[in-house]
Amino acid sequence: MDISTLLTQFGDKYWLALLTTWQLTVISFAGALVLGVLLTVCRVAPVMPLRWVGDFYVQIFRNIPGAALLILLVYALPYLKVVLPYKTCVLTATTLIPAAFCSEYLMAGMNTVGKGQIEAARSLGMTFPQILKNVVMPQALRSSVLPLTNLLVATMLTTALASQVPLNPTDLTGLVSYINTHAVGGVTAFFISAVLYCGTAVVIGQLGSWLDRKVRLQR
Amino acid sequence: MAQTPVIELRHIQKHFGTLHVLKDINLSVAQGEVVVIIGPSGSGKSTLCRTINRLETIDSGEILIDGAALPQEGRELARLRAQVGMVFQSFNLFAHKTVLDNVTIGPMDVLKTPKQQAREEAMTLLRRVGVDTQAAKLPAQLSGGQQQRVAIARALAMHPKAILFDEPTSALDPEMIGEVLEVMTRLAREGMTMVVVTHEMGFARKVADRVVFMDSGEILEQNTPEEFFTHPQTKRAQDFLDSILKH
Ligand SMILES: Nc1ncnc2c1ncn2[C@@H]1O[C@H](COP(=O)(O)OP(=O)(O)OP(=O)(O)O)[C@@H](O)[C@H]1O
Ligand SMILES: [Mg+2]
Repeated sequence: MDISTLLTQFGDKYWLALLTTWQLTVISFAGALVLGVLLTVCRVAPVMPLRWVGDFYVQIFRNIPGAALLILLVYALPYLKVVLPYKTCVLTATTLIPAAFCSEYLMAGMNTVGKGQIEAARSLGMTFPQILKNVVMPQALRSSVLPLTNLLVATMLTTALASQVPLNPTDLTGLVSYINTHAVGGVTAFFISAVLYCGTAVVIGQLGSWLDRKVRLQR
Repeated sequence: MAQTPVIELRHIQKHFGTLHVLKDINLSVAQGEVVVIIGPSGSGKSTLCRTINRLETIDSGEILIDGAALPQEGRELARLRAQVGMVFQSFNLFAHKTVLDNVTIGPMDVLKTPKQQAREEAMTLLRRVGVDTQAAKLPAQLSGGQQQRVAIARALAMHPKAILFDEPTSALDPEMIGEVLEVMTRLAREGMTMVVVTHEMGFARKVADRVVFMDSGEILEQNTPEEFFTHPQTKRAQDFLDSILKH
């Protein structure tokens, strides 16, 4: 089948699949940001057990393959009497892994905050959580916009894991399998999805550079 | 005379590894007094200044602020620390906050001052140090002299009992030193209790109530500026004065 036939026949399904991919991406990334910030707070906290938990988390989830994590969530959790809906399993995997990377970028971003500013905050009588909230985290986030933009793209690509479980509507990668089992889409079916992934990534990249220029601090 | 000193250090000892940086330091600073600390590079002036609000830990001794012992750590330390302002050589303004927010953040977050009140007080302080027209800018958009004056306003906003200055003009271009010293002189005249580490001998002569001379971690002399500069008691103070007068 050529592109125009595919699009006439499956156009609305592609649209739904694109929306699904976007939805999975936005939810996962938002979750990863929140979790990433919390992990980073743990990793710098003056409380040893919290540091261990944070570092341990990052070591595990930075190194586990997405597919392996998804399999564990779908097939292993039920043994513990936890049966999650497929979509929740996918979202859990696509949040937990990027959160580890998010924390790594924020740790690097924190190093850009001068020691002097932290001393100034201490001398104003701020406590450790206040210093993190007012001085360190905002600057770490600002200096991590570009790596976090790349993480957003990577998160989108990770949501292709959704194709491994039955979802309705399915995501861009899942749709390719769907088309190829119901018709003969061949490489063209994949090509359309690829263009949609790339298009989204380009837009994310542009937005990221714009945001970076806007919030980056001169020193 | 029987008034409690604002700052009192008793038998402070501190090591950096094997280096004995503070050797049995005793110092008390009275209400409204301006104490200038001078001494050769590496003599421990910054370390002494920083121990007063525990930015540096000490090995032994006691630090009292208005008669209350400064605890080692925790919330109580943060609370007492807020009563002693600090102005640094490198300004250390919060780079992501506007000038106004740099001044309001302490009162709002630490003293729980309502936002509107904090802003009004901050604007008054910024006017006092002559940078009110820069309130909406980020620190990086200001000159060094302006940044240091903002840092002074930030310290003042906490209504501190004393302010510590660690070489506040050493990072400034010569033409900006005057504007910062002028603000500090005015503060001193208004009765602020100040401890100032500086190489500006003119300021020490004109503004200090007392000059403290340090060398190798010890306080060797304390005297009025007139006495100290004209009749130093120790050979090391004499040598130090000779060396800086030559430059
Ligand atoms: N964090 C540190 N770790 C180890 N040694 C230190 C540290 N900070 C300062 N020192 C050493 O302690 C000594 C006193 O330092 P300090 O900064 O108090 O001197 P100073 O009188 O302020 O000198 P300067 O006029 O150069 O600022 C110096 O020998 C310095 O090298
Ligand atoms: Mg020094």
